[in-house]
Amino acid sequence: MNCEDYRQQIAADPAFDGGAGHLSECADCQAFRAEMRSLNVKIGQAMQIDVPELKVPELPTIDATNVVPLTASAPLSKPAWFAVAATVMLAAVIGVRMLGIGVSYDSLAEEVLAHLDHEPYSLRVSDTPVTSARLAKVVPANIAQPDHSAGLITYAQSCVINGKRVPHLVIQGERGPVTILLMPEEQVDMAESLDGENIHGVILPVGAGSIAIIGTREERLERIEKSVLNSVRWST
Amino acid sequence: MNSSSAEADRKRRFDRIVEVFYPDMYRYAAWLCRDKAIAEDVVQEALLRAWKSLDALRDDDAAKPWLLTIVRRENARYFERRRLETVDIDNLTAAQAALLAEAPDEELSELREAIFELDDDYREPLVLQVLMGYSTTEIGELMGLKQGAVLTRLHRARLKLKDNVAQEERS
Repeated sequence: MNCEDYRQQIAADPAFDGGAGHLSECADCQAFRAEMRSLNVKIGQAMQIDVPELKVPELPTIDATNVVPLTASAPLSKPAWFAVAATVMLAAVIGVRMLGIGVSYDSLAEEVLAHLDHEPYSLRVSDTPVTSARLAKVVPANIAQPDHSAGLITYAQSCVINGKRVPHLVIQGERGPVTILLMPEEQVDMAESLDGENIHGVILPVGAGSIAIIGTREERLERIEKSVLNSVRWST
Repeated sequence: MNSSSAEADRKRRFDRIVEVFYPDMYRYAAWLCRDKAIAEDVVQEALLRAWKSLDALRDDDAAKPWLLTIVRRENARYFERRRLETVDIDNLTAAQAALLAEAPDEELSELREAIFELDDDYREPLVLQVLMGYSTTEIGELMGLKQGAVLTRLHRARLKLKDNVAQEERS
């Protein structure tokens, strides 16, 4: 390690403790290290701004008994898509109205994209489908009409969108995971495009509700849209 | 478990996490947006988002990075919505100036101003490393950068601050 390498390391991370051999023979680098460590202490002090008193905003009521914990699904012995095909149900679930003030998003599209940001682990490439039991729990059969599969469902969670609980499913598309949010109480007048970082999608009006479908930029969503639309018949 | 009991447990968990990490959330937000008033708004929205998404946090030991990630996204969303202009150090709002006004002595005040003036790309990894105790790997994961890029930014950030301090001492 020479002086330049050492100084780059120590300036990037003053806690760096490598390069002992070089350091023991180089007084200039010893001085540089001392300078960087001293500067770092001062930087830490300068960043310690006063923090105002915590004011917790009014929190909406969440139906905590209805939260479905995430669990790993066991792989199926049959071809996964076949097993899941019979269990795909697209539906409305219990809408839990928020009390009080929630995060105010300018549009449903913004709320949907924000929600995706907060569940990045749902967007995994996987060939392990959710179990039928889990799917039935997230998309209750008494509210939904079972139909054919739109693809291999690898994630199912009951989530809150705009203050209402909605089924959040992830289907494995041709170019990666595709998110589907079934929103029976979110009426939109016309199809609305969604654009995010490396993703695109659409919110489609379906009866008195809507469905958001979001995939990677390369994903051709038309096929999935048709499949999902054909499968949904709001029963509420 | 009945509904009220489950909700009370959920609220206790939320309160416990927020009480511990609120100062980190606020300081991170303040150094991201360089405006105390906006930082408070961002943290308020982040708290609401955290409350609504709490069940996605499966391990409370991971609460800090989880909350800071939410703050980071809410900050980005705030600026996307409002499309605010770049901060001009010579024309600060009261809330921006307040961030600089509290330093206990002149040396720290000058250093705080120099940190304030760093480009976002340099300031954020520095805040994460110095103030939040993140490793360069963790910074890379949060910011979507390779470790080499993180090291470069941190190295340049400190050299800029070092030059700035030297310049102030000369003048």
